[in-house]
Amino acid sequence: MKVAEEAAPGLRRPSRWLDLRGRHEGAWAYALNRLTAIGLIAYLYVHLGVLSLLAHGPSTWNSFLATTKAPFFTALDAVVLLGVLFHSLNGIRVVLTGVGVAVRWHRLLFRSLMALAAILFLVAGLLWSIRG
Amino acid sequence: MTAESVAVDLEVLRYRPGEGSRLENFSVQVAKGTKVLDALDAIWATLDHSLMFRRACHHSSCGACAMRINGRERLACVTQVAEAAEEHQPIRVEPLHNLPVVGDLVVDVAGFFARMTASDLVITRSAEPELPVSVDPLPASLSLRQVVVPEDLDRFIRFESCIECGICVSVCPSMAADDGFLGPAALAGIHRTREATGDATESAHLLALADGDGGVWRCHSSFECTASCPQAVDPAGRIMSLRGQILARRWGRMWGR
Repeated sequence: MKVAEEAAPGLRRPSRWLDLRGRHEGAWAYALNRLTAIGLIAYLYVHLGVLSLLAHGPSTWNSFLATTKAPFFTALDAVVLLGVLFHSLNGIRVVLTGVGVAVRWHRLLFRSLMALAAILFLVAGLLWSIRG
Repeated sequence: MTAESVAVDLEVLRYRPGEGSRLENFSVQVAKGTKVLDALDAIWATLDHSLMFRRACHHSSCGACAMRINGRERLACVTQVAEAAEEHQPIRVEPLHNLPVVGDLVVDVAGFFARMTASDLVITRSAEPELPVSVDPLPASLSLRQVVVPEDLDRFIRFESCIECGICVSVCPSMAADDGFLGPAALAGIHRTREATGDATESAHLLALADGDGGVWRCHSSFECTASCPQAVDPAGRIMSLRGQILARRWGRMWGR
């Protein structure tokens, strides 16, 4: 265990805000918001890298598109979609409560928005399966 | 020990500067209905005089015994051993987060209080605020006096309830990630002092402090402070209220008011 040393002056340690033992929705939302932010920024750079393949001509691009049909890439898409839904909808909660709206009902607001995220994710999955 | 005593197992985080940290197990006999703080007292008295922990009032008024019990910040003086043992065996006891550990369960609260007094106004005051309570005498046949309680008494109770235990600082993820943040206790104090003062200059100074570097905008709305506060101070609600006041002031300035 390194708990005591971590409490020393350097406070910026992810092990602190990622320690969710005994925490409520808010701390989970905080941790997930940071993790999804990091993930989405990483995805943005990957996305730009992928788009750069267009500069190598149609054959390279079509070859890459064929690769993305694999289940692994579908799973990655699902993870990205979950990240986008969580980050954006939790962001709405942070903005609303941050300006004094629904402060007393922040837990209900969080749960409602997460329910909306789940519904949107299922709808996206349904549309994906219909369109193939 | 009497028939009413029970055996309690605790797992206590031990730490000394330069020696690192470890979890140490203790088993003590304590009376039924006892609190975690009493169990720590029993360890200190019968097993290990070197165990460091802080305590004073034993009735949740001073905040000295705030610590993490089974991963949750609580006051050890009012946390039942039986309930904690039901949650986790052995009962795990650790120091607060986000404050430097002096030794074992004792944290250095100097930074905590430095934040509380950052404005030269917060928390410390020269006189008690005057509650709008009028005391009317009852008929002479009664020995009691009737106290007319103002409708907004809750507001004052919350203002004066903070026991400065540091639990809100320990649970706050923004404090964990950002040591420039004033933190929930200090900001709740700013809010309280601002509502109590009738001085416009002081009020503006406090609002500027809340709006400044380390102020309310570093809060990320986790509401853990409000959920964990043993005194229902509602620091998160105070922070959001300060934000509203800051936005109102900015809005007014936009229109030259």
